[in-house]
Amino acid sequence: MSKPVETDSFLGNFGRTFITAFQTVGAMTLLQLRIFRSLLAIKNFDYDESVTQLFKIGVRSLPVVIATAAFVGALMVVASGNFVRATGATTLIGWAAGTAVFSEVGPILIGLMFSGRVGANNTAELGTMVVTNQIDALRVLGINPIGYLIVPRFMAMIVMLFFLTAIGDLFALTGGAITCRAVLGIDMRIYWQGILDSNLLSEFIMGLVKAIFFGGAIAIVSCHWGLQVTGGARGVGRAVNDSVVTSAIAIFMVNFFITVLWT
Amino acid sequence: MYSIGNQSLVFIALTLAFLGLILVYQASYQALKVLPDLTPVGPVFIGTMVRVFGPTVVALMLATRVGAGIAAETGSMTVTDQIEAMKVTNADPVEYLVVPRFIASIIMMIVLWVFGVLVAVAAGTLIGTLRFGIQLRTFLSLSGTTMSDVWVALFKCVIFGAAIPILAADSGFKATGGSEGVGWATTKAVVHSLFTVILLDFLISSIAYRFGW
Repeated sequence: MSKPVETDSFLGNFGRTFITAFQTVGAMTLLQLRIFRSLLAIKNFDYDESVTQLFKIGVRSLPVVIATAAFVGALMVVASGNFVRATGATTLIGWAAGTAVFSEVGPILIGLMFSGRVGANNTAELGTMVVTNQIDALRVLGINPIGYLIVPRFMAMIVMLFFLTAIGDLFALTGGAITCRAVLGIDMRIYWQGILDSNLLSEFIMGLVKAIFFGGAIAIVSCHWGLQVTGGARGVGRAVNDSVVTSAIAIFMVNFFITVLWT
Repeated sequence: MYSIGNQSLVFIALTLAFLGLILVYQASYQALKVLPDLTPVGPVFIGTMVRVFGPTVVALMLATRVGAGIAAETGSMTVTDQIEAMKVTNADPVEYLVVPRFIASIIMMIVLWVFGVLVAVAAGTLIGTLRFGIQLRTFLSLSGTTMSDVWVALFKCVIFGAAIPILAADSGFKATGGSEGVGWATTKAVVHSLFTVILLDFLISSIAYRFGW
C-alpha cells in the first residue's frame, strides 16, 4: 500500500479521503473473504469462544437496545402526531409508526446502538490484544486468529442483532402505544388496530433481513479497525472512533440498498 | 471547532444523503399504496427532515464521530496522567479541554443541521423526481414546514450539541487502566450519548407537541 503524498490543499485532502476510503474497503473485503474461508472449513473456528461471544454480545446489549427501541417508537408516534393533528386521521397513526419502526427506523437505530455498544467494545478488545501482542502470541502457538477470534464474533453479532431487532421492534411498538395514550391522548386500541390492519409482515421481515446484514457489516468493520491498531492507548481510542463512524456509514448505505432491492 | 466541523462534513453528508434517499423512497412507495397522488410527499418529507430527522440523525452522527473522539482524546490523556499534570500546573482541565469543545460542538451542531438537511433534501429530490416522477416544483415546497418546526429543531440542536461533549468528556476523564480503559471509555461515551440524544429528543418533541408548537 503506497502512502498518499502529504499535501494540505483542499484537493489533496479530498483525494486522501478517497484513497483512505478505498484502502479501508479493500482491507475489509479481504477480511470478509478470510472469514468465509474459515467458515467453510468448519473445524477452523472455536466453538467455546462462539458461545461466550453470543452470551456477551446478546445479554450485555439487551437493556440498552430495549430502552432505545422503546424511545424510538415513542418518538415516531410523537413525530406522526403532528400530521395526525393537522389532518385528523387518527387511524393512520398505527400505520405510520408501525411502518417507520419495522422497515427503517427500528433496524437503523438498533443497529447504531449495537455498533456503539458491541462494535466499539469489540474494536477496543481486539485493539488491546494487538497492542499487547496477544495476536502475535496466538500465531506463535499455531492458532489462527481469524478462526479463533474473528469468526465467533462475526457469527455472534449476526445472530444477536437479528434477535435484538426482533425484540426491539416489539418494545418500540409498546413504547409507541404508551406515548400514543400519554402524549397524544389517542386510545391505544386505535393504534394497535392501525398496526394490525396495515399488514406489516413484509416490513417486519425486511427489518430482520436488514439486521442480518447490519450485524455482518458491524462485525467486519469493528474487527478490521481492531486488528489495525497501532500505538498504545491513543491508537485504541482512535480505532474505536473510526470503527463506530465506519459502521454508521455502512448501516445507512446497506439500509438503502436493501430497501431498494426489496421493494 | 475545525476538527469537529470540517472533519465531520463528509461523514454527515454521506449518511444524511442516504437517509434522504431512503425516506423519500419509502414515503413515496408507501404513499402509493394508500393515496393516489404523490404531491404531499415532498412537503411532508422536508417538514419531517427539518423537525425530526435532521436534528436527531445529525446529533447521532455527531455523537459517534465527535463524542467518541473527545472520549478517546481525554481518555488517553487521563491514562497517561496528562490531566494530573495539568492540575499540577494549575490549569483547569475542564476549562482548558472541555469548554472549547462544548462551544464548538453547539455551534457546529447547528451548522451541520442546516448542512445535513440540505444534503438530505437534495438527495431526496433526486430520487423523488427521477424515480417517482414528482414535479420538481411540487416536491421542493416549504408548505409542510412551519416556523415552529425550525425553532423546535434549533432548540434540539443546542441541547444535543451541549449534551454530547459533556457526556463524552465525563467518560474520558473517568478512564482507568491503559489502552483497555480508553477503549472502554470510548464505548461508554458513544452508547451514553446516543441514548441521551434519543431520550432528550423524545422529551423535547413531547413537550413541543403538548404545547402545540
